[in-house]
Amino acid sequence: MSGPSIGNAVVGILRQERAHPALQDQVAKLFEESRQDVYRYLLTLGLPPPRAQEAVQEVFLRLYSTLKSGESIENPRGWVFRVAHNHGLKVRARYASEEPFDPAIESRLVATGQDPEESLLERERMTRFQRAIEGLSEQQKRCVFLRLEGLRYPEIGSTLGISASAVGEFLRRAVSHLRKAGHE
Amino acid sequence: MSKYETGHPGEGCLLQYNDGELRSREARRVERHLEACWQCRAALDELRKTVADCVHYRQTVLDRYLPPPPRPWADLYEEFARVDAAEAEVGWAKRLARIFAAPRNWRWAAATLATAAILCAVYLEFRKAPSVHAAELLKKAVAIADAQPKAARHIRIRTRTHQIARLIDGGNLQSAHQGADAPAIEALFAAAHYDWNDPLSARSFQAWRDGLPNKRDEVTTVADPERPSESCYKIQTVAESGELADASLTLRATDLHPIGSRLEFRDREWVELTEIPEPSMSGIPFNEHLEVPVRPADPSLPAAATPREPASISDELQVMNALHQIGADLGDPVDVTRSGGRVLVSGVGIPPRRQKQIHELLAAMPRVELQFADPRAVAAPAEPDAGAHIVPPANPTAVGSVQARLERQVGGRAEMERIGTQILDWNESAMARAYALRSLAERFPAGAEASLQPSGRDTLNEMAREHAAAMLRHVEAIDGAMSPMLSALGGSAAPAHAGTRDDTWQTSAENVYRAARRVEVLLSVVWGATPGDTASADLPSALLTALQQLKAELEDCQRLLSRNAGG
Repeated sequence: MSGPSIGNAVVGILRQERAHPALQDQVAKLFEESRQDVYRYLLTLGLPPPRAQEAVQEVFLRLYSTLKSGESIENPRGWVFRVAHNHGLKVRARYASEEPFDPAIESRLVATGQDPEESLLERERMTRFQRAIEGLSEQQKRCVFLRLEGLRYPEIGSTLGISASAVGEFLRRAVSHLRKAGHE
Repeated sequence: MSKYETGHPGEGCLLQYNDGELRSREARRVERHLEACWQCRAALDELRKTVADCVHYRQTVLDRYLPPPPRPWADLYEEFARVDAAEAEVGWAKRLARIFAAPRNWRWAAATLATAAILCAVYLEFRKAPSVHAAELLKKAVAIADAQPKAARHIRIRTRTHQIARLIDGGNLQSAHQGADAPAIEALFAAAHYDWNDPLSARSFQAWRDGLPNKRDEVTTVADPERPSESCYKIQTVAESGELADASLTLRATDLHPIGSRLEFRDREWVELTEIPEPSMSGIPFNEHLEVPVRPADPSLPAAATPREPASISDELQVMNALHQIGADLGDPVDVTRSGGRVLVSGVGIPPRRQKQIHELLAAMPRVELQFADPRAVAAPAEPDAGAHIVPPANPTAVGSVQARLERQVGGRAEMERIGTQILDWNESAMARAYALRSLAERFPAGAEASLQPSGRDTLNEMAREHAAAMLRHVEAIDGAMSPMLSALGGSAAPAHAGTRDDTWQTSAENVYRAARRVEVLLSVVWGATPGDTASADLPSALLTALQQLKAELEDCQRLLSRNAGG
């Protein structure tokens, strides 16, 4: 058997692999529904936009591989965020020498809406809230952002490697801080 | 008296209530308190406003001001095809090997072998890292120990059958404290070329390790058993030759002070050395012969097994049984898995005292590793997730009418509160048993059970029977209290039928779990903590039927377990 014929044999073998159309549809649907949320979460984690986008894709491909291997995942969205968080931290560490991503949201907040007075008030309110968010500890911020994505306390705990009761405590402190900021 | 009649729920409690994270009983208590307390209702409204601000922030700030993805999203289907192809290559590696093995493909085979050799070299290079790390750690630990004055300290020496405490003064064992077992243990050390005069020290470990011709090291970070919030380095060295097969030394991360060591000999003997903190010494008599607080040997383990063999399902069963003895299988967030040839017992957010208790219970078992983490966790034990998300009832009028009738029947609100709390307590205990029984069934399916030794099968059967019997007692208590009330509300139970007669107890345990969940949900609906789709008039009958079904499933499970025990 020569080189090309070996290549043909290999291709033949690979083509025998069965496709998984239903599984692919399932993952693709979740990808479409959640990719923006996961991307946004990774940006808040400090990943630059190109890296965050790559990471999102990587996470969903991992989900596909995992499901394909027969593993059962009860809450795929929770799983995606957990894996995205861990993968995001690794990517962030790997590219630590790169400039960390700073969305500089506060400086970009602009007044919107038709009523100028109302939009100005809204801008001030959002600026204050943005500052309050930035004032949260890293863990508090993670808990708030993951809760905003709809994760339950045990899922957040599993993502961050802390107990559900610790999540409750972080969220309590965060909400207390944000409430005070709202009253200022 | 309600928990909150004399005080108010905290902010954290209100937040968990708002998030549907409280268990049904607690949610009910909060709800009742809120009905009566303006102050807490106002606090909850404030909290909801802040949550709404967060949602608004996400929608108006994060969505609008974070940069969009720099490129269009890739077509995931194309990527799926790549993943499939890559995995297929791995899966068909053996068939490819056959192709390469054909006589005329030697050039291809040579190229492949060269690639494999490079990969092996890279792997071996990486494998060296723990050895270097272990050597460096030991070197530093020895240097630190040498720089400090030699202080007297006590160590606990534990073997399979005995436990003794000894005083080491300046690196020398005090002969006055050597008991009848000391010569036997000393002989073990001498045969292994391990320094008996200073057995718990980095220097002795280093000297033994340096004398090994072939060894394998592993360095891990573990929690300090005395102070779980602090960490330690655990150096584990496996020797390919010599009397001592495997030894580990635990060094405190802060000062590299040795606090524990475990030596496993090739003849299945093991010795565990632990430094005794000074304040604890008063309670530990010298040379006292103590039974190890766990079963001394694995009854299910084949006689030929050695401590270096990977952990078996019997080891896992032994760990489960030990945890069962202290009730750690009833809601403690303890996870037991077999990993890396060991039974890994891990937990997050477990209070230090409970960690210590588990550590003492399992430390003597071979092939068991404990990993308790999360110093940030609060001290309260995490409660098992009941599964149901507690939110205000979907149809408050319908459910409320059942509650109102129940309230009239039992003679008022206070009495209803008392009965409701009692019933939900029983249900909580029953659910803890349901989870534990199901966990055993999943962990030891029928095939795995058959592979156990007879004594192991007996242990498993006994644990499962205990859970089923305790659960039945709780369910009968619930049934006894609820049935008269539900019958008076016009409810009647439909005939119950348990799972197929040919099932294994493992399948039956799953049926028990499902039936228990059904009862739990209906109880929560009846007591007004969970929304339900069962119409108000059907609730009493639905709950009565569910209770009878659960009892039938439990009795069926017990029958199957008894049949197993008899067989």
